[in-house]
Amino acid sequence: MYVIEVNNLTKSFGSNKVITGVSLKLKKGTSYVIIGGSGSGKSVLLKSIIGILKPTSGSVKINGNELTNLNQKDRDKLMLKCGILFQGGALFDSLTVADNIGFGLVYGFGFSKKQAREIAIEKLHDVNLKDDVLEKYPSELSGGMQKRVALARAIATSPDIIFFDEPTTGLDPITSGMINELIVKFTKEMGISALSITHDINSLKHISDRVGLLFGGKIIWEGDNKDLWTTDNPYVKQFVTGSLVGPFTA
Amino acid sequence: MNFYDFLTVVGKVFLKFLRATGNIAIFLFRSLLTGLTPPYYWKQIAIQTIQIGYYSLPVVGLTALFTGMAMTLQCYDGFSNFTSEGAIPSVVMIAMTRELGPVLASLMVAGRLGASMTAEIGTMKVTEQIDALSSLSVNPYKYLVFPRIITGTLLMPFLVFIDDIIGILGGYLVGVYHLGFNSANYIHNTFVSMSAWDVCSGLIKGAAFGFVICLMGCYQGFSSTKGAEGVGRSTTNSVVSSSIIILLLDGILTFVLF
Repeated sequence: MYVIEVNNLTKSFGSNKVITGVSLKLKKGTSYVIIGGSGSGKSVLLKSIIGILKPTSGSVKINGNELTNLNQKDRDKLMLKCGILFQGGALFDSLTVADNIGFGLVYGFGFSKKQAREIAIEKLHDVNLKDDVLEKYPSELSGGMQKRVALARAIATSPDIIFFDEPTTGLDPITSGMINELIVKFTKEMGISALSITHDINSLKHISDRVGLLFGGKIIWEGDNKDLWTTDNPYVKQFVTGSLVGPFTA
Repeated sequence: MNFYDFLTVVGKVFLKFLRATGNIAIFLFRSLLTGLTPPYYWKQIAIQTIQIGYYSLPVVGLTALFTGMAMTLQCYDGFSNFTSEGAIPSVVMIAMTRELGPVLASLMVAGRLGASMTAEIGTMKVTEQIDALSSLSVNPYKYLVFPRIITGTLLMPFLVFIDDIIGILGGYLVGVYHLGFNSANYIHNTFVSMSAWDVCSGLIKGAAFGFVICLMGCYQGFSSTKGAEGVGRSTTNSVVSSSIIILLLDGILTFVLF
């Protein structure tokens, strides 16, 4: 069963066509990673799938529901089943860690602050952080800790699907490794489906079951994780080796 | 530049103006539409009440105090030539309640509050915090914009009222303790010509200006483009556009109300 089905999705900004026809399917309990160079439209594609950006045309189905046809109320209900980890964490500056993690529970599910706080503590432990950060503000945390708090917020509502927008960008290799481990833990052990975008090869190696390469607004190659390292596709070969020679130009 | 080029420039500017006006109207409609339906974010309204109502008091109060003082001194300088000093309390009262109170208080609030509103929302926009709100099923227009617009519109008249009182008090202090007016006479002359409409018209202006400040502050924040420069530009635009609209609206409302 597919939890996400994207068909011929396009997204333009005025005359600038960023996504020119993307189709992909995400199986329940698996991890699909979209790779591509900087400026290839990965973030635009992810935001169009989530509904933060309105697609110009095409169809996006999440758990069988056509996202582009839903009204705001039904879309909000559907999004409660989804968690999103933004590139920079996107934690709310004016709220403490506890309030950030519990935000979706309080405003989306109507939990009391006390209940939300108990879940926040539990999720904080899931991302290997201690209770002592609960009352801290995001600005008082390191980049890696902010990312883990953002991850805790993304899983706080016990979502079926998590979207990861460049989860390891800007982090040191050890913290990146920790984030990768957590993503694997959530997808493999908890059965959460994941759709990620990244250009971090190490992350790709660890977290992906299936991979799609975005180039020129389209998925030009798609395959399983193991195929990524053996394919003859020149785009994929150049991307995973980081070679300067090939169809990609800097 | 020939006449054709001139018309092209005028046309482009006019189209840009129309586009901006349309975008602001859509932004307002969306904010009111989502904000007027439950659930209501009372905590956000309470936070904005403190931000707008309480923290604006010092800057509004100081402006009013010194404006009232300066106004009395300037009037005395001119009126004494015609031995009309007795009219000073009334003139200060009318000027403060009808015009200077609402306009100066609003310009100060636009500088303090409009700028901070735009900077806060703009930073949230460029750091994806507004996207995060949507992803957590919270409508950002309902959570961020509506509480600010409603609180700004309702609290600005209150600030104008305080401004009126402090401005008149400033005039009284200079009149009595510096220019030697009789205290009882000054107070009598202030209130003898005062009508409820003088105060109410200023409060109506205050509500309109508060609405403009918060609408422009939030709209410019949501329109922020990437980076610190983008947020800085939006903040400047917010203060400049609010101030211009306040002055323009003041002229229109004065025509309508009097």
